[in-house]
Amino acid sequence: MIRVDTDVEEGVAVLQPQGRLTMVTAPQLRQVVAETVASGRPRIVVDLSATEFLDSSGLGALIAGLKTARQGGGDLRIACLGPQPATVLQLTNLDRVLRPHASVAEALRVR
Amino acid sequence: MSGDGGRTLVTAAEPAALERVHALLQELWQDAADVVAQDRIRFETAVTEIAGNIVMHASDGRPHDFTLHVTARPDRIEARFEDAGRRADVDLTAAQLPDDLAESGRGLALALAASDELEYRRDGALNCWRVMSKRTP
Repeated sequence: MIRVDTDVEEGVAVLQPQGRLTMVTAPQLRQVVAETVASGRPRIVVDLSATEFLDSSGLGALIAGLKTARQGGGDLRIACLGPQPATVLQLTNLDRVLRPHASVAEALRVR
Repeated sequence: MSGDGGRTLVTAAEPAALERVHALLQELWQDAADVVAQDRIRFETAVTEIAGNIVMHASDGRPHDFTLHVTARPDRIEARFEDAGRRADVDLTAAQLPDDLAESGRGLALALAASDELEYRRDGALNCWRVMSKRTP
């Protein structure tokens, strides 16, 4: 399940995937990002505080979401990573592309 | 495949199998409570990628099962997969990360990076994978 909070700022949505973000749930994240950008909120923060586990399919969905958000004139940022998602990001060198932020507020603030 | 204190799962090779793999590893960590968090994380990351690879690639349209056996030893954690699906067309010596903005193709490179040994061999009609992570002393 993915919680969606559109009550933060204009044009912004915070998405919070719950549980494990794997092959099972990655398609849902891609879809929610696409719908959110299409609804006029291209600045997306994915809050991973409730994401216990991330696999390569989940990473692929984050990259797909990043591209969708940028095409919509926005960006996709990630925040609040637990130890497993942080390890996966480091091992795949994607922490350069999707820089982990300590909080949703920091992800929104940084330019 | 038993008698070594390990745990075994036989499951259909379908996306929901990833949750069963996770449950099996939870049982293993209960049996081997002294495996430290970072070792668990790297091992589960690698094992999940191989399970995902089997689910995605080993089917030739017919449903099939895979077997996963996991063991924790004093110096290492090991997983052995077997499935009778299509031969995996992999070259683990050549597995590397794709471009930063690629949306797929990271699974085996991630499994290699997260484990200490990763092997694939075709044994008759079976695909056999072995994942080994050394434990933090």
